[in-house]
Amino acid sequence: MLQFPPWKVLLVLGIIIWGTLIALPSAVNMSGAPSWLPKKPVNLGLDLRGGVYLEMEIRPEEVIQGRLDVFARDVRSALQRTDSAPLIPHEIEITGRRMAVKLMKPEADGSYPAAAAIARIERVNGPLEGGLAGGKTYLVSQTSPDTITITVPANSENLMVADALAKTETIVSRRVDPDGVAEISLTPSGSNRLILEAPGEPDPLRLKDLLNRDGRMTFNLVEDSPSAIQAAERGVVKPGYRLLSGPTTGPLLVRSIPEIVGQDIANASQGNDDANRPQINFRLTGNGARKFFETTRANTGKRFAIILDDVIMSAPNIQEPIPGGNVRITGDFTIEEAQDLAAIISAGEMPAKVQFLDQRVVSSTLGEDSIAAGFMASIVGLLLVGTLMVLAYGIQGFFAVISLTFNIILVFTCLVLFNATLTLPGIAGIVLTMGMSVDANVLVFERIREEQRAGRSAWTAVQAGYERAFVTIMDANITLLFSAVVLYLMGSGPVKGFAVTLALGNIVSVFTSVVVTCMLTVFWMKLTKPKRFAI
Amino acid sequence: MLIKYWPAELNIPFMKFNVIGVSLSVLMIVGSIFLLATRGLNAGVDFAGGSVIELSETETVTVAQVRDKIGGGLTVNSATGSDGKRLVVIRFGELDESLLGPEFAALPDEEKEARASSVSNAYIVNELKRTFNLTDQQILRNDSVGPKVSGELLWESLIALGVATLFMLFYIAFRYSWSYAVGGIAALLHDTIGTLGLFSLLQIEFDLTTVAALLTIIGYSMNDSVVVFDRMREVRRKYKQMPGAEVINLATNQTLSRTFLTAGAVFIAVLALLFFGGPVLQGMAVAMVWGIFIGTYSSIFFASAIVLALGTEVNKPSDEIDTPGFQGVS
Repeated sequence: MLQFPPWKVLLVLGIIIWGTLIALPSAVNMSGAPSWLPKKPVNLGLDLRGGVYLEMEIRPEEVIQGRLDVFARDVRSALQRTDSAPLIPHEIEITGRRMAVKLMKPEADGSYPAAAAIARIERVNGPLEGGLAGGKTYLVSQTSPDTITITVPANSENLMVADALAKTETIVSRRVDPDGVAEISLTPSGSNRLILEAPGEPDPLRLKDLLNRDGRMTFNLVEDSPSAIQAAERGVVKPGYRLLSGPTTGPLLVRSIPEIVGQDIANASQGNDDANRPQINFRLTGNGARKFFETTRANTGKRFAIILDDVIMSAPNIQEPIPGGNVRITGDFTIEEAQDLAAIISAGEMPAKVQFLDQRVVSSTLGEDSIAAGFMASIVGLLLVGTLMVLAYGIQGFFAVISLTFNIILVFTCLVLFNATLTLPGIAGIVLTMGMSVDANVLVFERIREEQRAGRSAWTAVQAGYERAFVTIMDANITLLFSAVVLYLMGSGPVKGFAVTLALGNIVSVFTSVVVTCMLTVFWMKLTKPKRFAI
Repeated sequence: MLIKYWPAELNIPFMKFNVIGVSLSVLMIVGSIFLLATRGLNAGVDFAGGSVIELSETETVTVAQVRDKIGGGLTVNSATGSDGKRLVVIRFGELDESLLGPEFAALPDEEKEARASSVSNAYIVNELKRTFNLTDQQILRNDSVGPKVSGELLWESLIALGVATLFMLFYIAFRYSWSYAVGGIAALLHDTIGTLGLFSLLQIEFDLTTVAALLTIIGYSMNDSVVVFDRMREVRRKYKQMPGAEVINLATNQTLSRTFLTAGAVFIAVLALLFFGGPVLQGMAVAMVWGIFIGTYSSIFFASAIVLALGTEVNKPSDEIDTPGFQGVS
């Protein structure tokens, strides 16, 4: 335990210096520092900064409905005519959680080709995602001579909802925080809920607007003939077309079937046009770019509409075929609107609409003056504890204070590295580990004193002191580490914040109070070669 | 340094006082439970919800002035608004009935419950206007806020704490023995209930800061018990024939200098919080001062007495844990 070969010394020093550099931005404003230094300060929780708290859920019915809508397309194409099989005429109706496929044309003998239809539907009915033992996603059965009913079994439903929740989580975080730099925290709760905490965000309405959109982005061709638009406005819409409108375009008749859909869009961002007005740039995927080129080549001279959630954003003329897949939307946007829209388009389509259950603007528990006072109190406390330790143990006490200081610094390092959030109970966790760190040093020193009283020489007393106290320190730390892990896994909110810093502080404090103090003590003893360990 | 003046051999017969010690503890626990049942906790805005009022800071309207001149136990903080202006932020829940006037006191209970929040808000707004001659425009924000900690969340946290306690119970039982595990958990409950009792007695606002204090006290209590147990285990293994009370006395005396130093260090740290931490952190600091005190007390008198009653025997050492510490020359 008292052996400190050069590699070990370098390792300890390396951890301390590197850790301090990472923790530094949390205490000091680093904006003027050289660019290679880390700049990211620790995240502060809602209770220390105030901000917006949103609780939302997705409805399982909607998720199922959305999935059935998609599956209906597969069923339809499965029943089309192919090289080897004839068309099976049918009608599809989706009501709630079931889809009915009604066969329209009996065979020559009066029976319906239900068995053949089921076989062809089963071919597009994929295996249960992540399911065991070959379960299928949908349950396909014949319920009357001419009707096939498709339902979603319970285990499949659970998987779909879980999948939708995970997708929603990704989309929410991409929309609210497209660059991944804001300190939002997004926690799933139960099977279909999400809790969003955005410290420092003053406006819940902006967040809700951002999350309320479906994010369904399509490019559709426009039917320009004035007579067709007038007919549509009278309520006679040309079949295969829809009448939509937009703030800058007015009402337009667009084809129902889109040319480009959300999946063809690789990403979107806010940019500026030649006159330096905000616009939205987006890039299509390889496949999307090819489709877009084909469409623009076949329809040169016509207009197409860029549609987001059934609102036309823009409807430019196609002057020439457009290769490369770079598209932009110009319009009357503010920078913020353009950024939000770009985030919505990039994030993709929500699997189901989010419903807001709870929305709160939280003011911080501690105001700035209380945080300043608390900081002041911590400094005074640390100085007093330091004085006590030095008075009691002399130079060894001073070593203990050094390791205590690094204990605090390294906890912040871990918080920054794990992107964890510091909350008020989290600070309490740090205070507790500081107490345990002091205790660990006291235990070691007291043990050394005892061993020396029992007649051991300085070196052997130090060795025995560290080894024996180590058992005690580990028992105490493991007990609390256990409970910190349980609190982290099971708890939420304030308890979780406490658990994070307690667990990190626990591990760090063993390192600082045993390894760092021990190393300092060993160096000091090598330097002074004392006969007795003065303590 | 100064620690060398600590007497090397102490022989205080702690276990002679265990009847007194346990009686005091039981008295405190019963008293705390009685207080919690009758007076209850003073739930703060974090738990009960309430109002947030923001004023812009001027020469006369400052955090200190509002704290001084407006009664009702408000939480007053300073903050910086989005436009860089200094703000005075006032947070409060339902005020004491005596402040809300005879009209309110005459209402039936259900009405009271439904209207307490809005009547409290109106009262404070009125007081602020009267005291500082404010116009409506000077009150920048007056919102009701929901609780930061919902009932569901509180319940979840309690379950998590319960399971964590069970884990500690099993870990101590595995490393020491069941009697130590029971003693340690009893001390933990002792400290938690005692602290909650103090909250109830002084009607300290129970908010996130006090939850933080409570969690810290639980952790400190556990750490302290384990350290004392560790020495008891060592003494027990060394002197196999020694009576239980003497084992505990010896272990407690041997660790007494450590107990005083550690408790002293933590104590002065929380005293610093009490004197320099400002009024908002005062509740937290009071809780910690008391918690550290009873946490140290319970390890020596309460946990030990339970271990003594249940038996000081420890599990057989397994080789990896108890290599007799030290293999050097002597």
